[in-house]
Amino acid sequence: MTKFVIRRILQAIPTLFGISILVYAIMLATPGGPVAALTFSPTVTPQERAALAAQLGVNDPFHIQYLRWLLGDDWMRFDSDGDGVADTAYLIPLDADGDGEPEPSGTRRGILRGDFGSSFFHGKRHVVDVIFERLAATFELGAASLVVGLTIGIPVGVLAAVNRGGYFDNFTRIMAVVFNALPSFWLGLLLLLVFGGTGLGLLPMGNRCGIVLVGGCPPFYERLEYLFLPTFVIAVGGVAAYSRFMRASLLDVSGQDYIRTARAKGLSGRMVWFRHGLRNALIPIATLLGPTITGVLSGAAITEQVFAWPGVGRLVVSSITQKDYPTVMAVVMFAAIATILGYLLSDILYALIDPRIRLR
Amino acid sequence: MKTALRVTLVLFILCLSSLSAMAQEGGIVVRGNAGADPTAFDPLLTNETVTADIQALIFPDLLSVDPATASIVNGPGPNALATGWELSDDGLTYTFSLRDDLYWTDGEQIDADDVMFVWDFIQSGAVPTHLSFVADEIANVEKIDNFTIAVSFDEVDCDAILSIGALEPYPSHIAPEDLTTMPDQEFNQNLYVSSGPYTFGEVRPAESISLLANPDYADAELGYVNNDAFVLLNVPDLTVMVERFLAGELSIISGPQEARRAEIYAAEDEGRVQIYTYPGNSWDYLAFNLADPANPQNAVDEDGNPIDQGMHPVFGSTEVGRDVRRALNMALDVDDIIERATFGEGTRMASHLVPASWAFDPTIEPVPSDPAAAAQMLTDAGWVNSDPDDPTSVRVCQGCATAEDGTEMRFVLNTNEENARRTAIITIAQESWDKIGVKADIQTLEWGSYLEKLFTQTLDAYVIGWRNGYPDRPDATQLFTPASDVVGGCSNCMSYNNPEFTAINEQARILPGCSIDERKALYAEAQRIIQADTPYIFMFVRNGFYAAGSEVSGFDPFPSQLLWNVDTWSITQ
Repeated sequence: MTKFVIRRILQAIPTLFGISILVYAIMLATPGGPVAALTFSPTVTPQERAALAAQLGVNDPFHIQYLRWLLGDDWMRFDSDGDGVADTAYLIPLDADGDGEPEPSGTRRGILRGDFGSSFFHGKRHVVDVIFERLAATFELGAASLVVGLTIGIPVGVLAAVNRGGYFDNFTRIMAVVFNALPSFWLGLLLLLVFGGTGLGLLPMGNRCGIVLVGGCPPFYERLEYLFLPTFVIAVGGVAAYSRFMRASLLDVSGQDYIRTARAKGLSGRMVWFRHGLRNALIPIATLLGPTITGVLSGAAITEQVFAWPGVGRLVVSSITQKDYPTVMAVVMFAAIATILGYLLSDILYALIDPRIRLR
Repeated sequence: MKTALRVTLVLFILCLSSLSAMAQEGGIVVRGNAGADPTAFDPLLTNETVTADIQALIFPDLLSVDPATASIVNGPGPNALATGWELSDDGLTYTFSLRDDLYWTDGEQIDADDVMFVWDFIQSGAVPTHLSFVADEIANVEKIDNFTIAVSFDEVDCDAILSIGALEPYPSHIAPEDLTTMPDQEFNQNLYVSSGPYTFGEVRPAESISLLANPDYADAELGYVNNDAFVLLNVPDLTVMVERFLAGELSIISGPQEARRAEIYAAEDEGRVQIYTYPGNSWDYLAFNLADPANPQNAVDEDGNPIDQGMHPVFGSTEVGRDVRRALNMALDVDDIIERATFGEGTRMASHLVPASWAFDPTIEPVPSDPAAAAQMLTDAGWVNSDPDDPTSVRVCQGCATAEDGTEMRFVLNTNEENARRTAIITIAQESWDKIGVKADIQTLEWGSYLEKLFTQTLDAYVIGWRNGYPDRPDATQLFTPASDVVGGCSNCMSYNNPEFTAINEQARILPGCSIDERKALYAEAQRIIQADTPYIFMFVRNGFYAAGSEVSGFDPFPSQLLWNVDTWSITQ
């Protein structure tokens, strides 16, 4: 098991490199850039635009920008004699904006040295700080949706399998299609109008908690009403997916020899389905867990938008729109790591649950 | 004795009642924010609209602005550090006297060092800043003494005072030695030192920002801030924002979608909300490329010599094709566009100056809509219908001045896809032009792609907008002169270049003595010239729209000045 985990982690390194190069290349290939978004104003001169582009380094060739992101730029342009003015440069010009003065020394250390860089927006703060302050909200909503999806979806799937071909089975099949087909922006708005202040007035219309002047939001169990609608919107898709997955898995198991044996022994239907069938049918669900956890952390941009939920999804969308390369890259790398770890967790869980599986 | 006692008692009661009348009425002002999710607030590092709103409520200004006239005042004003200025005889140096009774919330006095720090920071180039333009416009800032500074320029600039206004005091005593670390300082996320009507409460990232009433605010109109707090609540979805306002979750909103304003007007009729509208400072226009889009060139070379930019096959150049562009303008019914694209929430423009500008000349009428005359003008200009019996058949060049004979009058009209209003504009324009045989292929682009194409000057025609500053600066150097006709980073992306306009615009900017009346006359002339040249079809300014719940007392906005008196507001439940 240990060897397996170490091997998978080592295999992840080239995967992460590949992802980073691919995403960086795609990102730079998209038209537009942050300078246009930052300087689209009639008061900004072409010279100021050029100076900002030089400062951000966004006009450098792809390999320079990637190297800067990977290894930093404190070795690309620096002050060798300690007089406070950069005097040595590798790969990039000393005077990038052509104004006759050297640009300041590089300060970035690159992600290999733990520096994911600073956002072009967000007050030039470190992107890791910007991302991490959104993670709690994303995790809260994602976990709630996952719990609701599993606790409703799995029992519904089991009951549908037990009543295969019956009214309940057909009803859940139709509902699964409906739940999967509902666009989250539509469902979110509809629920908000029905249950919010301009409708029944039963639930708040957004945000993570009420107005708090200082001290932050109270613990989540004191503000469940704020979680209710966005959780429901995200969970309906999960309910549909898990119920169908569970139904299919249980029906698959029901044709196995050991189920036939259990019936032949004269066990009650309940014992056969729930004691023998369900436990084995749950094993494939474990394979879903890894990618599901990744989904929990990646946020749900549209739902977050409608319910003003302060999660990572909204940050990603706005960063992509603004061409905030450092933020986009940091989110992508965190998501890639989470995905790799999620699948690794799935494999490990699978081996732990099913004694027939051996990790090598 | 009894009488004396009674008088004393009455006086005592009167005192008590007056004391209670002086008490803060309270309440929390909750404003909806559909803009960015700000998590950084240092005024030297960020000035997104939302953060600028926050900064305005917790920092002093250098100069005083009269909200009623939208002009900078040479005198003292609430929450302004300068009490006035004197201009040197050569018009190049402004000497400002500063107040000595303003303090930061940590007790430090606000003085000249706090202005000088801003200037030094801008000049250092330590961190990219939106204020870098100040270094281009101001020659030097000098501290005369703790409460006097002098700001000098290389040339007379009648709008210089607007540049100086950017030097807003900054608490220099908390700044780090190493300026490059400023983005990572706590102050960038928590403005723990301030000096305005509010102090910083806390930021819940992407959710809300709370500001607390500053009990020591020196310039409070009532002697105290009349509400408890001001909260900026993020509501990124504009539809939801209106719903939450109507549900009473938000005290005030600004600039709701035009399509939803009817519901807010209805709520006003029911007495549930208060509304203030005005011709705003954001304007939409349709621009024509006046150079060859197949071979974009800067207007001038490095030595300032003009470069041949060619001409557009349909729209010509600044000098050639005026009639065609005017005809295209006359073929559109801009009032109808305002009605259909903005639900009537726009105010017509006649030229490049917004109606709210002091330099706006109301006597200049917009170009009238007259499709029949437009069709005739095109024919006269050598663009004739390919089928003489079908007025909608595509026009072709027969002796036109900008293209070879047989060239069809076709071009691409772009805008950004996220903007429903502009998409409506190009759709209506396409319909209108189609009726007289002008074929526009409309295309919408993602914002980043759109700006890139715009900057590379490869578009034929496009709809986009500008938002003017406050107070307005009528100078059009960046919009309509060769100075900003640079491929890759332009504001004059359609290559308009009329030396007469450039000269008049410059004359108005550097007019000796800076007489308002004389400058106004010059800008009026500039407006006439640019309307005749028609590099843009000037459309409309979007009407500004503020709404407050009926529970908000003190709501009394001016154009672009919603919160000028927010310290007097209270919220009654």
